[in-house]
Formats: sequence, C-alpha cells, structure tokens
Amino acid sequence: MAETNALQAREKQELQGETTRPGPVFRPEVDILEREDGYVIYADLPGVDDKSIDVRLDQGALTLDAQLATLPETSWNPLHAEYRLGSYHREFRISEGIDASGVSARMHNGVLELHLPKSAQHRPRAIPVQAG
Amino acid sequence: MAQFSLYRPWAGASWGGPLDQLRQEMDAVLNRFGGETTPSSSWRGVFPAVNLYEVADAYVLMAELPGIDNEDIQVSLERSTVTIEGERKIDYANQEGVSLHRRERQVGSFRRAFELPALIDADKVEAVHQNGVLMLRLPKSPQDQPRQISVQAS
Repeated sequence: MAETNALQAREKQELQGETTRPGPVFRPEVDILEREDGYVIYADLPGVDDKSIDVRLDQGALTLDAQLATLPETSWNPLHAEYRLGSYHREFRISEGIDASGVSARMHNGVLELHLPKSAQHRPRAIPVQAG
Repeated sequence: MAQFSLYRPWAGASWGGPLDQLRQEMDAVLNRFGGETTPSSSWRGVFPAVNLYEVADAYVLMAELPGIDNEDIQVSLERSTVTIEGERKIDYANQEGVSLHRRERQVGSFRRAFELPALIDADKVEAVHQNGVLMLRLPKSPQDQPRQISVQAS
C-alpha cells in the first residue's frame, strides 16, 4: 500500500464574510479538554509561528487570529495544489470561571496550546472531614 | 513485495492542456494576494495534502503536518518517487483526570508516495519541517535538466 489511511486529509473549513483581510480565512481544528485546574485548547495552525498569532480574551470571548509566517515565493510555479493558504480565525465563549490573568499560550510545530486556568473558587476542593 | 499505486496528479492527459493553462493563469491573477492556489479536483483526500511547485532546477513539495515531531516523519526517495510517512500522536486523550469537550484533531499514521515529473538528485534533497509545515526541496537530476547545445560553425 502506497497510501494510508488512519488519517483523513480534510479540506480546510473556510469562514465566509467575517473578515476584511484579503484571501481566505480558515477555521482551525481544535481539541478542548478540561482538567481539574483548568482548560486546554489545542489548535492546528500549520505555517503559523509565535509572532504571527494573536490571542485575545475580552469579556468572556476568546479570539484567535493567525497568519502564515512565510508564504511560497512568487517565483515558484504551482504545479499542483491540494490545500489552500490563508489566515486562521476562531472564537470561543469562555465561562466565568476562568482566571483571565493566568491564561498562557505557546506555539509548537504549528500547534497552539492555550492554557486557561480555572479561578480559585471554581476549582474542586477537598473538604477535610473532621472526626466528631 | 507490496504493490505501489503511485499518485501522479501532475502527470497525465489532464495536465498542461490549454484549459488547464488558462485556469492556472486565472488562478495566478486571482491569487496574487496571499499566495493562494486552488485545490485540484483530482485530489482524493489522502493525508497529508500537498502542494507542489516547480522552480528552475528543482521541485518544492509542501505538506501541512502540524503537531508532528521531526522524529515521527520519514521522507525517502527512490529515483523520481518521494515517499512521506509518519504518525501523528496525541497523548492527552487517555490521561487520567482529563475530559475531552471537543475532539476535532486526528491521530494516526500516514504514508503517501508521489512520482515527480523528473528524476531527482537524491544527494541534494533538503527537508525542512518548520511551524508544522514540511518543505522538501527536490533538485532535478542534471541529466533531466534542459541543456544549452552550442552550435558550431562548420
């Protein structure tokens, strides 16, 4: 078998009418997981580096905007194209239980990893039980 | 011996005809902003999606492989056939105390082979994986490059 299998290449989901920027804007694929102490969002942003991404948290709305760090050179003659190039945009509603001052983000291998810690009163607490 | 079915979207009759040429020219006009190109209709959805460019003495193959470490990507070349294989691993899914609210990113292994339109100079292939994008620079073998033949006066 020359070609497999477990992974499906999916066409990027293009967003319509939400930008004034030229060129297409895509909706990145994300995983969102919850841990005891907070939430983590992973977003696939191939071609984006830490300088070409903007993450904003404003009144419960988390917005991420990203551009490609480098573009193919204009002198390259395209022979074949299976994926399109453009910028990325996605928004999330964040619950009140997030400690906005503790949000942190990093880019690695074209993946954004965003940590959203729960504020202290929203973390589960173990209640010590005293003998009576 | 496994049977290879090679993917050659850039070879064959549909490529390079006048209509394709017109389409390419229109694309070039439409895509001046942002370097966009239009996905080819011949793509069969096999991971990873690739874009292929030609420069004077080489081909440039790009593939989006976000979240995959270098050691999980293998690139091999045999004559004019380049193979990209690897695995995307996501380790948090099965961790204890973690609940997944949304799961859109895929995991698994992949393998894809491409036959390029010309022989490749294997010793000079460069592979760079940066920001989740793999870029292969595949120099054409000298014997496949056009040569200037000087005409001598008799």
